[in-house]
Amino acid sequence: MIRLEGVTKEFDGGVIALSDINLELREGEVVVLKGVSGSGKSTILALIAGLSKPTQGRVIVDGKEVSKLPDHFCATFRRENVGIIFQRYNLIPDLSVSDNILLPLYPANMPKEILLERLEKELKAYHIEDKKDAVVKNLSGGQQQRVAIARANVNNPKIILADEPTANLDEKLSREFIEILKELKSQKRTIIVATHDPLFFELDFVDRFITIAHGKIVDDNT
Amino acid sequence: MTLFFLSSTISYELSQKVKNMPDITLTQMRAGREAFVKEAMVDAVLEIEGVTHAYTYIKAPYRFKDDTLFEVVGVDPFESFYDPFINTLLEQNTLESGSMLISKDVAEKLLKAYYTKDFNFITPSGELKNLKIAATFATEQKPQYRWLVLMSKEDAREVFALQADEATTLAVDVANKLEVPLVANKLQELYPNAKVVTKKEQQLTYENIFNFQSGTFLTLFSVTLMTFFIILYDKLSGVSSEEKREIGILKAIGWRIEDVLSAKFYEAFFIAVFAYLSGLVLAYLFVFYAKAPLLGNIFLHDILLRSEQFVLEPHIEFFYLFLVFLLVVPLYFAAVIIPSWRVATLDADEVMR
Repeated sequence: MIRLEGVTKEFDGGVIALSDINLELREGEVVVLKGVSGSGKSTILALIAGLSKPTQGRVIVDGKEVSKLPDHFCATFRRENVGIIFQRYNLIPDLSVSDNILLPLYPANMPKEILLERLEKELKAYHIEDKKDAVVKNLSGGQQQRVAIARANVNNPKIILADEPTANLDEKLSREFIEILKELKSQKRTIIVATHDPLFFELDFVDRFITIAHGKIVDDNT
Repeated sequence: MTLFFLSSTISYELSQKVKNMPDITLTQMRAGREAFVKEAMVDAVLEIEGVTHAYTYIKAPYRFKDDTLFEVVGVDPFESFYDPFINTLLEQNTLESGSMLISKDVAEKLLKAYYTKDFNFITPSGELKNLKIAATFATEQKPQYRWLVLMSKEDAREVFALQADEATTLAVDVANKLEVPLVANKLQELYPNAKVVTKKEQQLTYENIFNFQSGTFLTLFSVTLMTFFIILYDKLSGVSSEEKREIGILKAIGWRIEDVLSAKFYEAFFIAVFAYLSGLVLAYLFVFYAKAPLLGNIFLHDILLRSEQFVLEPHIEFFYLFLVFLLVVPLYFAAVIIPSWRVATLDADEVMR
């Protein structure tokens, strides 16, 4: 479903983030990308989401060569296929929980009833019904994480990308997040988590652990 | 906006003052001060070729006890060569000796002092001169007559202790307006000590006052505009890191460049229009309800020094409103949209870091 073929990514200033990466991920897999900070995990996620273009090579998702899609189509591709959970949640702090969750759907001009239906579903799924009108900046870290997950899931994406999702959470909240991932796996989502949190390394529902170091895949443990 | 309201109102009020003036006014001077004209001068002036009307009237301020200056005008009730507003009042009402016509504002002032049917003017010798209120008139459309008290010349003479053949002003109308300076010269020759002022000269005096105000206006306006442009330049030269991050997030969750720009457009439209309308309403209230404290003094100082009756009544020139709109709204739009567009066209992967 997701294929990276000979992907190299070089940033301005000559920093090579990824070097000749070849990787194939199947639909419904849960994959954990391991590696220290700066190893290139987040860059892989950005390339899969079409947020960035490789310097060399191809990124193919669901038969579409994302690496060649113009910006306009990349955005539509993300809206229809990808949900992203960021390390720092990346919510809009002055908006309400409901608005943050529905943000990915606003440009699609969906009918209000469908928007409300999707919102209710996500609020319920992540137990934040009572916070729906709260302004996001007033929420705790754990609550913000739930809002971020709800936003990533609201467009029913086939792929969920999580970049260091537990970096700002304590152990209890991290375990709660892992339970949510398990639930998402049961919904047949393809999940890719970039992390160096040891909690993820013992999980039995993870299909693959891929270790990245210095922009290369050094281990692929199925 | 406040500056435009003040400037256009002053300009309008001054032009209205000139509009209904006679072609030439003559006042006598004695020891460098204005003195009274004599009724007998009318016949002599009428002898001058080209003069159609010559008449005297009494026009003087009467200080009410709360320091409001009533504008007392003494006229001949059966003549019709005064300014159109006074002529209409004289046609519609019977102005008998011992009575007066007063504006609604004057009536309100008198009512506060418990005068409902008449009023006792205090003459310079300290005696009381009682006049009945014959009628009141509205001045909403003619704010320059807000404090007008109209009475017969005889009554006005008693109020201000003038002799039976005296008046404050001699007014002259000339058939051919091109001959006004010539007639004015003849009047000056006839009465070398008198102050002869043509309508044109009066207009120039007012224009000079207004030009002075325009200078003040331009200085203040330039400073305001400069401040606005500095703020705009600051906004145009870069998006804040918070806004940058926000645009990055929106792109990362599937917003296209046009979605981001459209959201920014509506946001800027709402802010700019809301700010414009708020500014408009606040400036209107500041100038016409609060009577422009501090700023009004700067603009009206010279006019008030000349003891002119001047009231800031609403007068709006839509051209200026449109000008401010053009100066503010499209520029603000550009200052929001251009930097947002620059950021929106960049890769959104920065938010992943």
